Amino acid sequence: MIEARELTKRYGDRTAVDRLSFTVRPGLVTGFLGPNGAGKSTTMRMVLGLDAPSSGTVTVAGQRYDRLGAPLRVVGSLLDAKSVHGGRTVRRHLLGLARSNAIPRRRVDEVLELVGLADVADQRAKGLSLGMGQRLGIAAALLGDPEVLILDEPVNGLDTEGIRWIRDLLKSQAAQGRTVFLSSHLMSEMELTADHLIVIGRGRLLADTDMRDFIRTNSQGGTRVRTPDDEAQRMRALLESRGARVALDATGGWRVTGLGPSEVGELAREHRLAVHELTPVLSSLEEVYTQMTRSSVEFRGAETPYETEEAFR
Amino acid sequence: MNTITTRTPGFREAAAFEWTKFSSLRSTRWTTAAVGLLTVAGAVFVGLSGSLQPDDTVLGGSLTLAVVALMIAGVAGALAVCGEYSSGTIGSTLAAVPRRGRVLTAKAALLAGVLFPLALVSCTVAYVLGDAILEDGAYAQGEPFPALLGIAALFAVVAVLGLAIGTLLRHSAGAVTAVIAVMLLPSLFGPLFGNLQRWIAGATPTAALEKLTQTSDASAEAVGSLGAWPSLALVTGYTLLLLLLAARSLHRRDV
Repeated sequence: MIEARELTKRYGDRTAVDRLSFTVRPGLVTGFLGPNGAGKSTTMRMVLGLDAPSSGTVTVAGQRYDRLGAPLRVVGSLLDAKSVHGGRTVRRHLLGLARSNAIPRRRVDEVLELVGLADVADQRAKGLSLGMGQRLGIAAALLGDPEVLILDEPVNGLDTEGIRWIRDLLKSQAAQGRTVFLSSHLMSEMELTADHLIVIGRGRLLADTDMRDFIRTNSQGGTRVRTPDDEAQRMRALLESRGARVALDATGGWRVTGLGPSEVGELAREHRLAVHELTPVLSSLEEVYTQMTRSSVEFRGAETPYETEEAFR
Repeated sequence: MNTITTRTPGFREAAAFEWTKFSSLRSTRWTTAAVGLLTVAGAVFVGLSGSLQPDDTVLGGSLTLAVVALMIAGVAGALAVCGEYSSGTIGSTLAAVPRRGRVLTAKAALLAGVLFPLALVSCTVAYVLGDAILEDGAYAQGEPFPALLGIAALFAVVAVLGLAIGTLLRHSAGAVTAVIAVMLLPSLFGPLFGNLQRWIAGATPTAALEKLTQTSDASAEAVGSLGAWPSLALVTGYTLLLLLLAARSLHRRDV
């Protein structure tokens, strides 16, 4: 569990994080989304006690991070995969972290095995590829078998196989009842991995919601209807006569908004039209997200007054 | 859920963490080795070349290069923390040990714990070698005991001084420059300060070393009349003060 209350960070007169309140619950993968400069990393750094909030509080597992007796056994984090000294071997890097929190030495070999770095354990970290460096960061996060995982852009630099691996890993960690909080700019990835979403823009909370709900609520999807080619125009006319808006779908067939799949199906039966496909279509997270954050993109310039409500419409 | 059940980590774990980091890098291993090797090599060189002042002592002559070694000890101290900033490991270090004062204390204990025995052994070896090589009776012997203990303590203190400076400045280049400046500049520019020279140059770790090794350079005109042990105490005093400032700054700053 991670709880932020009115969390605020100011740098001079710039407010990076603005009265942010949210709760990250155990048992779920919670995605943390926002455009560049929205304050995601700053927020994560405050959770880990690396940066001090200007005001407000944030607790992990019910306590301020710096009050945790053995932090690595409660919270595993990956903020910057580069936070490894290149001259140190993979094993020694992990061994040092293990010693700092009285974690048994065998865990080092266990996590190396788990992330698939056992073969390079005695190589210096500077020889690792970007993807292997990321795996090492994840190994460090898992070292203390923590109940909370905080990962900033964990799939950066991973190949597709690596991305799938981390997706499965995070889901299984959440399924074990752990709290998983990850940021990513890869929305397609978030859509596949996260159960819950916290969306921020310009340091403010835009949404804190179940992912499916989020897409459904913000979706401009509709229903995809495919008919035999010779009946397509009749179908279109019929749907429009019932007040639906009909457009050509990118994948062929009609994209219908204003009527749900059941209504379209009933209508087709009444008029004895064949239907080859009838699919509810939700906008992808990417579409919804882009629309939501458009108003809060950092570089929009100050003359556009920013309204949270606006982003929801 | 957590399957790991061991004791709550404290200072001992923080120190073990620092030791693992310190001992797993070539750069720190070599820097530390250089401190010992230089001191010993200096004694052999001076002994063979006989290049010491007629009024010098065997102890002072044997430890000629200890000044340079002392500077490296200070640099090693600075790099022990600046290396964390340049490699970015400072974030994971402080996430592992969020009590920042404990991190700094552990680093100081590690540096002192490594440099005291290292300097004690290498300076003693240097003295014994110098004594064996130099012509008997040509020079005053000097008082090796307890001076050698003080010299070893000075190495430990200077490494911690480097650590404090490094923590305050964070950047390797700046910190190394500052450490060298503290060690060298007062002696180089001391004469510009007229009568103040004895005070300014006399307060440096270099002056404390010269007094402890009883070399002929440690004249009252150059480095003041403060005795060897009070000089060591003075250096230790301002090192601890700087370490406190460093701890406060580390505690207050965002990483």
